[in-house]
Amino acid sequence: MIRPMTTLQSVLRNQLGYTATKDGCRQGGCGSCTVLVNGEPMLSCLLPVEDVAGQRVTVLESITPAEGLHPIQEAFLDAYAFQCGYCTPGMVMISKALLDHDPAPSDDDIRQALTGNICRCTGYRPIVEAIHGAAEAMRGSGGEPRR
Amino acid sequence: MTVRSYFLPRSLPEALGLLDERAPELLVMAGGTVAMPLINEGISLPESVMGLRLAGLDRLERTGDVLRIGATATLTQLLDQEAVPMLREAARSTASWSIRNMGTVGGNLFTPPPGGDVGVALLALDASVTLASTRGVREMPLAEFLTGFMTTALAADELLVAIEVPIRSEPTAYLKLGRKHANTPAVVTVAVRLEWHGERVTEARIALGAAGPHPTRARGAEALAVGTRLDADAIAAAAAAAARECEPFTDGVATEWYRRRMVSLLVGRALAQLAPGAGGGGR
Repeated sequence: MIRPMTTLQSVLRNQLGYTATKDGCRQGGCGSCTVLVNGEPMLSCLLPVEDVAGQRVTVLESITPAEGLHPIQEAFLDAYAFQCGYCTPGMVMISKALLDHDPAPSDDDIRQALTGNICRCTGYRPIVEAIHGAAEAMRGSGGEPRR
Repeated sequence: MTVRSYFLPRSLPEALGLLDERAPELLVMAGGTVAMPLINEGISLPESVMGLRLAGLDRLERTGDVLRIGATATLTQLLDQEAVPMLREAARSTASWSIRNMGTVGGNLFTPPPGGDVGVALLALDASVTLASTRGVREMPLAEFLTGFMTTALAADELLVAIEVPIRSEPTAYLKLGRKHANTPAVVTVAVRLEWHGERVTEARIALGAAGPHPTRARGAEALAVGTRLDADAIAAAAAAAARECEPFTDGVATEWYRRRMVSLLVGRALAQLAPGAGGGGR
């Protein structure tokens, strides 16, 4: 049971225990709660859960394999693309959406995709590098991470 | 959260019925990008809300020379269409990918400045709006729909259901100045569309965003542009008129003084883009 208009963010974190989706600004301003709805990035803090009943919601936990990491996560590790890590789940989800749409994005494509995802400590350059690295790895053999 | 009832109508008649029964207490929400932040913060405390995401009002349809945009079509859908290039530009310069996947074209018309600048493009394009209630349907020019700061001509029991845009071939110019390159509220937004007969301007639309209580037409500047060859003097005169007649404001993004300067600069640049010999258009 939920109260009317509970956000998808709240249901994920507080009722389902999927806490990778972060609870940042609740204003649609930071991107840390980014999830994919039917493959398209949306902000779970602005989404009444009723609106996505029956839709396919993808969160960080659903792309992380039981053993090891998703190639995008691997690439973030390799590129030192996080310090505090708070923005990382949102960054990984928007990267997933981008690479699903375009397996070989340009620097500009990546920067455009990231405009709604705020990082306040790492800086964006390693994140952009990580996404290039992930793209390369995912285009290569069997999605193995870049070494 | 204090919301007691959340309605998700699956059709327009169902939505209009709910509105008829429960207006004006029923808060109408589409993409949630404006209403949800206020609800999450406790600034807005509605008891009942109607969400339009599943109401089937999100289609884009081209019929002859008219693009009909369902009120809940997303900004991403606007970015993906090709019939009206200025609307692609307006969508591209609005918010971020995730927000464009949620925010709607209709909702953008209810977004207070310095947001809501898709409406600036729609004004320059002579868009009209379709309003429906259980009493019937009416249409009006967007310029009449926008009446003040967060006020419109919409009656309490009415719903904005579509926006119609004439499809024309002449080049247009759309310039948005923000503090950042992307995902940024406007310092000033300018949208211009001109019609020509030979070397003379016969019709001018110069629309401004973040330079008044809602997107507005700079009618004095438009009048000055009409009949000219859009030479440097005509451009300067129109830009100066726009700066005089606009009603900018000071907020966290920019001061009134700066916005007025930028109205002059951007109107001048937009007109120069469309002037003969400039290589045609802001596409």
